[in-house]
Amino acid sequence: MASANKTPPGADPKQLERTGTVREIGSQAVWSLSSCKPGFGVDQLRDDNLETYWQSDGSQPHLVNIQFRRKTTVKMLCIYADYKSDESYTPSKISVRVGNNFHNLQEVRQLELVEPSGWIHIPLLDLLNNPIRTFMIQIAVLANHQNGRDTHMRQIKVYTPVEESSIGKYPRCTTVDFMMYRTIR
Amino acid sequence: MKFPTKIPNRKTKTKTSKGGITPSNINDSIEILKLDSVSEGKGNFVTPQVQAFNMQKAAADGLMNLLRDMGKGYLALCSYNCKEAINILSQLPSHHYNTGWVLCQIGRAHFELAEYMQAERLFSEVRRIESYRVEGMEIYSTSLWHLQKEVALSALSKDLTDMDKNSPEAWCVAGNCFSLQREHDIAIKFFQRAIQVDPGFAYAYTLLGHEFVLTEELEKALACFRNAIRVNPRHYNAWYGLGMIYYKQEKFTLAEIYFKKALGINPQSSVLLCHVGVVQHALKKSEHALETLNKAINIDPKNPLCKFHRASILFANEKYKAALQELEELKQIVPKESLVYFLIGKVYKKLGQTHLALMNFSWAMDLDPKGANNQIKEAIDKRYLPDDEEPVPQEDSYPFDSGKCTFDAEESQESSMTDADDTQLHAAESDEVY
Repeated sequence: MASANKTPPGADPKQLERTGTVREIGSQAVWSLSSCKPGFGVDQLRDDNLETYWQSDGSQPHLVNIQFRRKTTVKMLCIYADYKSDESYTPSKISVRVGNNFHNLQEVRQLELVEPSGWIHIPLLDLLNNPIRTFMIQIAVLANHQNGRDTHMRQIKVYTPVEESSIGKYPRCTTVDFMMYRTIR
Repeated sequence: MKFPTKIPNRKTKTKTSKGGITPSNINDSIEILKLDSVSEGKGNFVTPQVQAFNMQKAAADGLMNLLRDMGKGYLALCSYNCKEAINILSQLPSHHYNTGWVLCQIGRAHFELAEYMQAERLFSEVRRIESYRVEGMEIYSTSLWHLQKEVALSALSKDLTDMDKNSPEAWCVAGNCFSLQREHDIAIKFFQRAIQVDPGFAYAYTLLGHEFVLTEELEKALACFRNAIRVNPRHYNAWYGLGMIYYKQEKFTLAEIYFKKALGINPQSSVLLCHVGVVQHALKKSEHALETLNKAINIDPKNPLCKFHRASILFANEKYKAALQELEELKQIVPKESLVYFLIGKVYKKLGQTHLALMNFSWAMDLDPKGANNQIKEAIDKRYLPDDEEPVPQEDSYPFDSGKCTFDAEESQESSMTDADDTQLHAAESDEVY
């Protein structure tokens, strides 16, 4: 029964980056965690390596805080979780909150994962289906599979939509012929 | 880590060698020869020496002519008189034409004219003849970047970095390669390496500036472009970069100043003129903008963006017929560009011909494979018609006016689809209400 509702893995976000429609901006933010085991912290969460992971070491909910220098447009979050390797450490309920600072967070997405086995894409859109603009994002792990206490998270990526850098407020060009003349390099 | 001091640029070497054999030197050497022949005194020995002297004079003359022609071509190129430069350099004899330096200069001339395909052809010829040549390869890599030829660019980058790790050109090529793959952080690292290897290489600063713009770090980009100008005040790309940043920050007067400065250095670049035109339009000087764009189109009729921007300015000034005419011509030149159909759709929408507008919007959406163009979707949504894509339940609910429904029925090509979508959207909306 559980196998029927398993969360399907999403596409590799690297391919998304190659389309040029989104850009990873995690490097522009300050990352902090509510708790972590030594050697399994922010670096392992952001090292582009799916073998290393963050392991929390405290009480639930476990929090990942992402604070930007300025109000940033965020289109999507991608989290890599793998039930087969992490079992009871795999998060099962994740809440995404945004706001200006720690006292000002509001939940925008809550999602349930059932035995995830890859990338999970979380689009962050407001009521008008535009990407949200925020100073801070908090990812809270509310529950784990098999009621585990601590959680493993292997990788998190934050994406912003790429502004069309050409002259004029038009959507992106699609042909090389146009793009050739767009800019002087 | 200290890098060895840079070997003097081969380009500058040829420049100095051009100045090296001045007429006065030749005269001195001729006089010496004359003295030699006189000092011999005997008639028998004069003839072969006079012959030798004549041959040497002819050779020197030939060399002087060659160098003078090359110099004229190079001068034209540096004044960005590119068509002139191509003419002059093409008239060189073939055994001089088919050399790395000459072909690189002509390739660069094509590059400055935004004729990237010819430039690419010439540069690949250079790679074939002189595969050890590193100078000028950064221009080749930028041409490939414009043409989006990823494979060629990564092959070039590998070859050059394997061959010469101490040349800034190789690292610029590597940076361009990763920039094309949209790995901007790595590209930035490579451009910084190019600067480390040779702090006097202005182009590396410019490319680094462009990468910072793409990662939205505009202050760092400004600093890079200013560095490039410090190194070479005639580097018009850096002036252009500054103008670009101020345009992004909507400081249009500053942007115009910098674009005009770049234009002062390179007056025949249609891309630059196009940008100046757009900035002038942003400053509400639409007549000037149209003049500038007309000039741009005269210089380079193949530049589709100039026509596109001219059409959009005409559209903004409500000259719809002229805009439509422009866009129809543009459709012939670039039939697969979704932006063209998008703008045509907007013009028809303003003219009230909504069926044509919708047709063009849907063509625009079809032509855009990545489908990330929310603007097109919004333009269609504003017509209170659902997309013909998947029926994603909207969190907001666009009210379904019954008035609009009757209007929809008139459009024969869309009606059957809209009826089905009507019911789908209604169903979706009802699902949303828990």
